[in-house]
Amino acid sequence: MFAYIVRRVVSGIILIIVMSLVTFLLFFASPIDPARFACGKNCSPALQEQTRKALGYDDPVFVQWGDFLKGVVQGRDYPSDPALRKTAPATIAHCPAPCLGYSKLSNDTVLNLVKNAFPVSLSLAIVAFIIWISGGIAFGVIAALKKGTIIDRGIVGISLVFFAFPTFFVGLFLYQFIAIQWQIVPIPNYVSIADGGFFTWLVGLLLPGLTLALFYMAGYVRMTRAFVLESMGEDYLRTANAKGLAPRKVLVKHSMRAALTPLVTMAGLDLASLVGGAIITETVFNYNGLGKLAVTAARNLDLPLTVGIVLLLATFVIMANIIVDVLYAFIDPRVRVG
Amino acid sequence: MVNPRKPLAAVAAAAVALTLAGCGGGSSTSNNASTKGSKGGTLYYLTFRPAEHLDPQRMYIGRDLADMGRMVYRSLVSFPVTKNADEALKPVPDLATDTGTSKNGGRQWSFTLRDGVKWQDGKAITCADLKYGMSRSFATDVITGGPNYILGFLDVPHAKSGLPLYDGPYKNDHAADFDKAVTCKGNTITYRFNKPFPDLPLAIASLRSFDPYRKDQDQGDKSNFAVFSDGPYKLQGKWDTNKGGTFVRNPNWSQSSDPVRKPLPDQIQFVQGLTNEVINDRLISDSGNDQAAVTDRVVPPAFYSRINGAVADRATQTDSPFVYYLLPNFNQMKNLKVRQALMMATDSQGWRNAEGGSKAAKPAKSIVNPSLVGYQPNPAFTAPQTGDAAAAKKLLQASGEAMPYPIKFTYNGGTPTSDKAAAALAAGWKKAGFKVTLDPLSDTYYDVIQKPSNDSDVIWGGWGADWPSIATVIPPLFDSRINLTSASNGQDYGNYRSDTVNKLIDKAAAQGTVQAQGKVYAQIDAQLGKDVAYIPLEVTQFYYLRGSKVTGYNLSPATNGYPDLGAAGVTK
Amino acid sequence: MTISSDLASHTADTSLGTDPALEPVAGRSPTQLAMARFRKDKLSMAAFVVVAVYLLLGILAPFGVKFGILDPFSFHSSAKYLDIESGSIPKGFMGGISWSHPLGLEPGTGRDVASRLVYGVTFSLTIALSATIVAVSIGTVLGIVSGFVGGYVDAAIGRLTDLTLSFPQTLMLLALSGLAVAMIVQAGVPAGNVAQALFVILVLGLFGWPPIARIVRGQVLSIREREFIEAAKLMGAPRRRMYFKEVLPNLWAPLLVYFTLTMPAYISAEAALAYLQVSVKPPTPTLGNILTDSISYSSADFFFFFTPAFLIAVIVVSFNLVGDGLRDALDPRGAR
Repeated sequence: MFAYIVRRVVSGIILIIVMSLVTFLLFFASPIDPARFACGKNCSPALQEQTRKALGYDDPVFVQWGDFLKGVVQGRDYPSDPALRKTAPATIAHCPAPCLGYSKLSNDTVLNLVKNAFPVSLSLAIVAFIIWISGGIAFGVIAALKKGTIIDRGIVGISLVFFAFPTFFVGLFLYQFIAIQWQIVPIPNYVSIADGGFFTWLVGLLLPGLTLALFYMAGYVRMTRAFVLESMGEDYLRTANAKGLAPRKVLVKHSMRAALTPLVTMAGLDLASLVGGAIITETVFNYNGLGKLAVTAARNLDLPLTVGIVLLLATFVIMANIIVDVLYAFIDPRVRVG
Repeated sequence: MVNPRKPLAAVAAAAVALTLAGCGGGSSTSNNASTKGSKGGTLYYLTFRPAEHLDPQRMYIGRDLADMGRMVYRSLVSFPVTKNADEALKPVPDLATDTGTSKNGGRQWSFTLRDGVKWQDGKAITCADLKYGMSRSFATDVITGGPNYILGFLDVPHAKSGLPLYDGPYKNDHAADFDKAVTCKGNTITYRFNKPFPDLPLAIASLRSFDPYRKDQDQGDKSNFAVFSDGPYKLQGKWDTNKGGTFVRNPNWSQSSDPVRKPLPDQIQFVQGLTNEVINDRLISDSGNDQAAVTDRVVPPAFYSRINGAVADRATQTDSPFVYYLLPNFNQMKNLKVRQALMMATDSQGWRNAEGGSKAAKPAKSIVNPSLVGYQPNPAFTAPQTGDAAAAKKLLQASGEAMPYPIKFTYNGGTPTSDKAAAALAAGWKKAGFKVTLDPLSDTYYDVIQKPSNDSDVIWGGWGADWPSIATVIPPLFDSRINLTSASNGQDYGNYRSDTVNKLIDKAAAQGTVQAQGKVYAQIDAQLGKDVAYIPLEVTQFYYLRGSKVTGYNLSPATNGYPDLGAAGVTK
Repeated sequence: MTISSDLASHTADTSLGTDPALEPVAGRSPTQLAMARFRKDKLSMAAFVVVAVYLLLGILAPFGVKFGILDPFSFHSSAKYLDIESGSIPKGFMGGISWSHPLGLEPGTGRDVASRLVYGVTFSLTIALSATIVAVSIGTVLGIVSGFVGGYVDAAIGRLTDLTLSFPQTLMLLALSGLAVAMIVQAGVPAGNVAQALFVILVLGLFGWPPIARIVRGQVLSIREREFIEAAKLMGAPRRRMYFKEVLPNLWAPLLVYFTLTMPAYISAEAALAYLQVSVKPPTPTLGNILTDSISYSSADFFFFFTPAFLIAVIVVSFNLVGDGLRDALDPRGAR
């Protein structure tokens, strides 16, 4: 067992290192020169060269990749110019290990920027999750109980319609009409629990949370409905019915329990994917989560930040896979052999 | 600019009549902006684009230059807070006691610091701080992205690359060069330039790069978003690059030492990342804090029909500092007749209509913005605003080229509006016998058009002067000697090369006054028109909403057309 | 954990629990049986008709443009059509609806909205279809090879799948757009929208194959054990022939279902990418870029605001219903 875990972890680390190289090659080989943008107006070739140096893009890609890997282990100084370090040490920024890079454009380490953005994405994911899971299950159960009626078809149909409209359209629609023009809720704005208390936090997350939830809900309505229908047909339920248990009790005690397990698994995976940031929703509502941070980084040609986020998110995925694999190995020893 | 319908000619006349106090050194105090608003309250500034730099020597975005100049960074001279467009671009003393003394035909300038001007920690601003501030611009590997004119103007030796040998205060190589060019005597600072710099006061008032900087606050690149104020406000806590920040009163600033600013709100809060649609939707709704909000994001054309009744009272329009134009690529379109045909066929009216009509753009008669000193309409652009397809067709037929003449139009696309506007131009050209390929680019735009081998025939461009002098328009755009190299065409995207124009540019640079320069530039502009080096499309408009509780609202050329934070207030 | 979670990673499971006939009818092939079951499913048939109409429109639109029946490019920007001083909003009822412009005019330009939408269907479907074909082809080939060869090849393809799944797709699309388009142009593809479209297709396809590869691999593993493959092996059929000739016919059912469920995901994805400004750009219409333009007109021209989104929603729902109907019809016992 131990050997298996070691094997998976090592292969995971190798995968991450390969990914970092691929990402570096992809981004730093770009024909678009970030130095041109950072240099400003009236930029002569000599000035552009100076700017490239200031950004730290003047070394060959492989050297930069090596520096990056070294930074993860040892930490790094920005800029790395030794002359500057001697004459003006106050101007050097230190990025402590594990250094995922330093964003010149934001004057902060990639890790700090991600740390600041993470709670926003997490909050959004949690609120969205609560809305869609409770809505999805409730509507799914109702649809199952009213199977074949207009209510059933209505619920499934409406959830499908919200799924089908593009997320940014639904988000902007809610934003423009519900928040701004009709003023049913305050203008969505992220306020952390520490700053504004639980209620302010929640109110700020309602519309973006709903936008995401409406997209995810369709799948859950349908799945809950199917599970409930399926398990209601099973023998032990028939037995319970035959024993004369009240129908509601049958539903709650038996069929829900059977349906919940696969639902929770799927919900867990969806939630995990949302924690990594919802690009469109965060962009529409101007929430400074990981998704918007990523978009901004990509738009501004902030290479260290883009590479850092890509690698971080990829590492999450790889780690999650390892955990799943290891758990399966615990459950089913045969996996280890393969 | 109070009256948005003010004819351009009047503005131009005002600009021509503008005399610089520079030579005489007289001090003027003009402050007739109505300041009926009361003190206190919080003003909100809703915006989209995050500030790239707050470091005075690195800032280069018109909005940020204007805002920070009013709130936290004082300059030797500044543009006044005024509703009078004639006055707005005449520098007045700020940190200095007057608007400067020039000698040697504008090659040497001296300014004396006012008594009692202080940093936010209460220490006095010294001549050494001014000198240190300028020295930072020379550290081109640390202080990147800022205005760099001074690197070429200051009288210091230069390396072959064109950069000065002096490399700024961090490495301090060749510091003696700099110490010779910039000297302090008591509270008086003297700059020495290698060519006449008659428009220096305009540059100082427009940019923040001539502002003082305290050496003990300097952490190089790490100071990019640090604000060490000498103005009426100071930054509360840290600037958040994603969200913005809040400015609060600076207790060490005193009204008696500042003849320019009339700060009314207790706080000014910046909220970044909001789209035009959201900002203007909120301003139309005018509820809560948005009643005390201003913005630098124009009303989208889709919203124009909602600006009526009470909302229209909160909408203001003014000329922006920007002019949009087309550049024929001289490597591709070598035949003058073809370029003339293109000019004649250009439906700039259709372009502007697609952008939203007269609230979004006004006709331009030159690449020079009408607010600039020495502006004159270019006599070459006689075609009707909608283009003249028949006349253009004749010119094209006379050119001897095969018809339809294929052209590729490269523009900064990616937004629905720019693509519609480009399609409008294409429709006009097609009528005249051109076969048009539209080439919208976004990320790669400048990389593509700056390649000398670029095969586009027509290229879109936009420019705003760095300070209100044509010296910051024509030379950077059309001087082939500074632009064209084997690797890049710099800002001369049309690869225009004319010895006549280059010679005239030298002649203009040698003039000792802004007015004399302006006359030569008018000559150059006429030559550019004759060669069809460019085709003007529009003077971009700023059309802004504000909240109902905002007082003293003023879109002034002094603040690049953005809301003037030196006068705005909030009612309770 | 993909960052594109709100882009298009999901395909909603949409069947309304209709119970298609399960009893086998004597004397018919499984395909015929499936088709019979599908035809009895009214909702899926209705959705199929809608999809067919879209496809037909998509195919005919270029001819309509060529012969002047559709006119997605001509401007009607004079004051006769547009209210120039109010943001060039079309004059007249619901954004300028008339006999010659049944869905009105586009604000700003006065182009015919109906023509642009119909022609937009062509481009949106082309992009979605091409991307789906790329994803399904790569997924199928790698899945078959992985399932059949096993061993190191299987492991290598497995790691490649992991690597591909690990990349945050939307972020890569955004960050790479400039670079990749430049490279596509260098490879000789005309710059502008052709290159941009190819980029969208390639990235969607190249990041989209792993789920298909996994499905196919699983199917292959189960098929491999079946007798007819054993028989083919015994008869000495060459490997490559065996992979594709013997296995592919047994895969078409899951592939078809997957195909119909991937199409709507990519139609939505194109719209989202247009919003993020990395899709095909105007004047070439796609449903996505028309929608991106229309969203700012929610108050000024509601009809123009709503129509593109509605068209996208209808095709996405229909494709999903057809996909679910197909799944139920092809594998009645497997339907959840």
